[in-house]
Amino acid sequence: METVLTTHFADERYRGIDGYRGKGGYGALRKCVSMPREAIVEEVKKANLRGRGGAGFPAGVKWGFLPKDLSRPRVLVVNADEGEPGTFKDRLILSHGPHLLLEGIAIACYALSIHRAYIYIRGEYAREARILEEAMEEARAAGFLGKDVLGTGFDLEVTLHRGAGAYICGEETSTINSLEGKRGWPRLKPPFPAVVGAFGLPTLVNNVETLCNVPWILENGGERFAALGCEKNGGTRLVGVSGPVVRPGIYELPANANLKNVIFDVAGGLRDGKALKAVIPGGSSTPVLRADEIDVTFDIETMAKAGTMAGTCGVIVIPEGTCMVRALSVLMNFYAHESCGQCTPCREGTGWLKLVVGRIEAGQGRPGDVELVLDVCDNMAGKTICALADAAVMPAQSFIGKFRGEFDRHIAEGKCPFGNRF
Amino acid sequence: MPNLTINGVAVSVPEGTTILSAAKQVGIHIPHYCYHTHLSVAGNCRMCQVEVEKFPKLQTACSTVATEGMVVRTDTEAVRKAVRGALEFLLIHHPIDCPICDQAGECGLQDYYMTVGLHKSRYPLGDKIHKKKVQDAGSGIVLDAERCILCSRCVRFLEEVTGTRELQFFRRGDHSEISFFPGRPIDNHYAGNLADICPVGALTSRDFRFRCRVWFLKSAESICTGCARGCNIEAHFHEGVLYRYKPRVNDAVNRAWMCDFGRMEYRKANEARLLAPFVRENGVEKEMPWGALMPQVAQRLSDAVRTHGADTVAVIASPQLSNEELFLVRHFASDLLGTMNLAFTRRAPEDGFSDDFLIHPDKNPNSAGARLLGIPGEEAFHAVAGRISRGEIRALVIFGNVLGAFSEKGTLELLSKAPFIVQVGTNEGVVSRAAHAVLPSASFVERGGTFVNCDGRLQRFRAGFAPRGKARNTIEILVDLGNRLGAGWSFSGEESVFRALSRSEAPFRGMTYGSIGSLGREVKR
Amino acid sequence: MSFSLSEEGLAELDRLLSRYPDRAAAVLPALHLVQSEHGHVPDEAIAWVAERVGLSPAHVEGVATFYTLFERRPRGRHHLQICRNLSCSLMGAEALVAHVSAKLGIRPGETTPDGMFTLSVVECLGSCGTAPVMQVGDAYHENLTVEAVDALIDRLRAEG
Repeated sequence: METVLTTHFADERYRGIDGYRGKGGYGALRKCVSMPREAIVEEVKKANLRGRGGAGFPAGVKWGFLPKDLSRPRVLVVNADEGEPGTFKDRLILSHGPHLLLEGIAIACYALSIHRAYIYIRGEYAREARILEEAMEEARAAGFLGKDVLGTGFDLEVTLHRGAGAYICGEETSTINSLEGKRGWPRLKPPFPAVVGAFGLPTLVNNVETLCNVPWILENGGERFAALGCEKNGGTRLVGVSGPVVRPGIYELPANANLKNVIFDVAGGLRDGKALKAVIPGGSSTPVLRADEIDVTFDIETMAKAGTMAGTCGVIVIPEGTCMVRALSVLMNFYAHESCGQCTPCREGTGWLKLVVGRIEAGQGRPGDVELVLDVCDNMAGKTICALADAAVMPAQSFIGKFRGEFDRHIAEGKCPFGNRF
Repeated sequence: MPNLTINGVAVSVPEGTTILSAAKQVGIHIPHYCYHTHLSVAGNCRMCQVEVEKFPKLQTACSTVATEGMVVRTDTEAVRKAVRGALEFLLIHHPIDCPICDQAGECGLQDYYMTVGLHKSRYPLGDKIHKKKVQDAGSGIVLDAERCILCSRCVRFLEEVTGTRELQFFRRGDHSEISFFPGRPIDNHYAGNLADICPVGALTSRDFRFRCRVWFLKSAESICTGCARGCNIEAHFHEGVLYRYKPRVNDAVNRAWMCDFGRMEYRKANEARLLAPFVRENGVEKEMPWGALMPQVAQRLSDAVRTHGADTVAVIASPQLSNEELFLVRHFASDLLGTMNLAFTRRAPEDGFSDDFLIHPDKNPNSAGARLLGIPGEEAFHAVAGRISRGEIRALVIFGNVLGAFSEKGTLELLSKAPFIVQVGTNEGVVSRAAHAVLPSASFVERGGTFVNCDGRLQRFRAGFAPRGKARNTIEILVDLGNRLGAGWSFSGEESVFRALSRSEAPFRGMTYGSIGSLGREVKR
Repeated sequence: MSFSLSEEGLAELDRLLSRYPDRAAAVLPALHLVQSEHGHVPDEAIAWVAERVGLSPAHVEGVATFYTLFERRPRGRHHLQICRNLSCSLMGAEALVAHVSAKLGIRPGETTPDGMFTLSVVECLGSCGTAPVMQVGDAYHENLTVEAVDALIDRLRAEG
């Protein structure tokens, strides 16, 4: 099949500007600077490109939210704060195709008359930050970034901003607060970032993968890009497969790839003859599927029908023999650790879920604990400023919904039937 | 003007009004902790969630703006469960130490537990997260992080009102804790407001802690006497003791705040009070009943006028007096004693501190009123003082306890030149140590009246309780004394004086206590 | 207040401050600089950074304690951070933690008496396809096995 993003990732030299240009890199930017700005935006709309950060919001529409009035400077914030467990696609792009991102940034900024872009990269990605810094130097020297881009008189300053360890900073208003030097608390909306964003300015926040599709779209046309995907989601998706499969990794697949095929064909099935027990299809927040539920495609609507979400396409493969209570306990620890502490239900609820699921796993669960977990979930879901509470609730509800027997057994037997281990 | 319904009740509100404010207008209280009328909207406590038709999720009433045709419900099962859930979350780590908590009785957790909570605890005691308790947070504020519900009001206050940012959230998730950086505690002149806005017992006032259970307190609407700003306050008292001041919202004056200097003014109603009339004979104080003393004082004053002329009598007024009192003082001096020696003198600022917010350099509540009532200020006072120092004054009436910027020594030296001094005052001080007759007057919480603040706003303060000891209302003292000098006054209480005042004094013409209301009004200029 | 950065650090901070429309935005970069020079963020550095960016020390402390990468207390020379999230757990992270713990004689969160190693369990590092993973300093060590982690620890110890 045709690929958009990873075509040249196997080539080491693609990371450097010469290698990148050797494959036609920055050609799309050159093309764009002679196009009317609206035509660029129009092409992205035609491409049916949806945000790749997990929520899947149509990118062209989001671009259109920026006010038409150019009297106030506007800002692009690139969300490279990848942190959803099971997700590692942006890291691949950052380390193999940094110029792809920079070209996507340059085109977006040119099209939307943005002169300042901030790449917010998670603090742990130190190596990727260095690679990006180098690439930015190269791009500036070659005239693709900085003052007077390609002799057009268009200035674009790109700044790399490192996070410092907070999953919540991947939420776009939290990214903005963090960029401004604050605690990474999500903001109340409205106002939306497109109106009042970073430094009080109109702001567009786009995920790394989203922007990396932009050069290809402008090179090959939005329609062609749309045709690579499915009806409501153009292009390809970077699907990450983790867990005990034969070939874990990132695969670029059509937006409507089949989850079962991804696991058993693309990733080679489970290792060591293990049987499949469950799959988390789109990053840890997305509801878990039983082995018999995975014959679904990745498009957003089909996933919704299956009661789950495509999310970030981070597929976590859970083999038979895994204690689902323990698995959930790991996730509950994560959300309690990452709750920013702003909203009452999330701050206290994530900690409470961690406590109760933890004690069930430890064999100290009490009758009624499962109902308690579900009730706490109900008091959290949809009742906070951002979606982190929901992100914690969805796995809890789905793990219990689909593997209730294991929870009950832990409580009835007063111990973990799997021996408290993975 | 969007029209909406809340629980079926129709309400029409100005553009931009939130659901929470709209509900308040029709008497529907929506629970909240983080929302505060005078701070930015945080929307994080999640207590004010309501159902809004066409919205799939519950909305926070504090942050959702009312729109035309909106249908809001606060009384559905979904809302009740969400609010009860939020309250339960807030209580899981709370120490539930109400019996030893000073906030008890005015605590948002107690209040809402009784109205929307009443749940049994589902969280094990042993799993509660412990945080730092009883910390001296600076500026008279005590911080108990365990009781804190992390509503962020204090953080927003210190960011948006004082700009000093001493408190912040540290850490995150359920280990979040409000604190200050070690060695950098709260350090501003408005810290007392933190104890007021804290909806729970996390931030309490060191001054008030453990002095009185709040349910015993009664309240009177008052005006701070600390400076010319005239911050609107509530005076809280119990059995003849004034316990504290709290700011009262008045957007034209002090919004919802008051300064820490003003807040401590209440102490003057309790401390070093003059509680019984006395005379000083050959340096010895001798208590004397009002009935015996007043005729003597009247006699001495009229003797001085008759024997030495009205020019040898002087009256020093104070801008700590109300307009009503000053009005009578003026008549007393000009008409009854017939002297031109009338001036007011101001309490000099202790450290002269002022800022560009509430703290005014004039440390008196009614200098503007004194001026409007035609009582001359500093220049005239210095002229009177000059006459005293030259021994030209045979009888002197002093209201209050200070003589301008004179030092204690300077004051005593000056007063030694006058053979007869009457003081009408509330507190012991240098003047009462020199006066030959001391007439104890009611404190600002034991009497009522009006002040005019630095911006020309006429504001009313009310009596909370009867004068302590044998002290008497200043108006009563003036009427008594005046009538002995032939005034023929029949005033009874401050309102009757104000009626006369508003008939004769142009800036106040046509005003009544009713028209001043709780929030005051501007005087005519 | 005796804290300061090196000459190079100060120059870098000045460069950073010029990149943002608001000095406050330099808090995270400044804390990163402090930590890269001092190994952690000492108390004096909080007040120092606050002054540089024009914020209160409480604000900077609030930021420093929000983000897990900032170390407010000194830790071992090598910080071994093993991911314990789901993909890594499915690939043996728990056993790895137990092994390193036994090998170094410390529990997660502790530092060896010689100050050489601190062991932490951390949340997802974005290396799920190459699990289990351990971050040491800035570097990721992926597809870890007990043998590989033994060799790595021995090497780090030899390096001192």
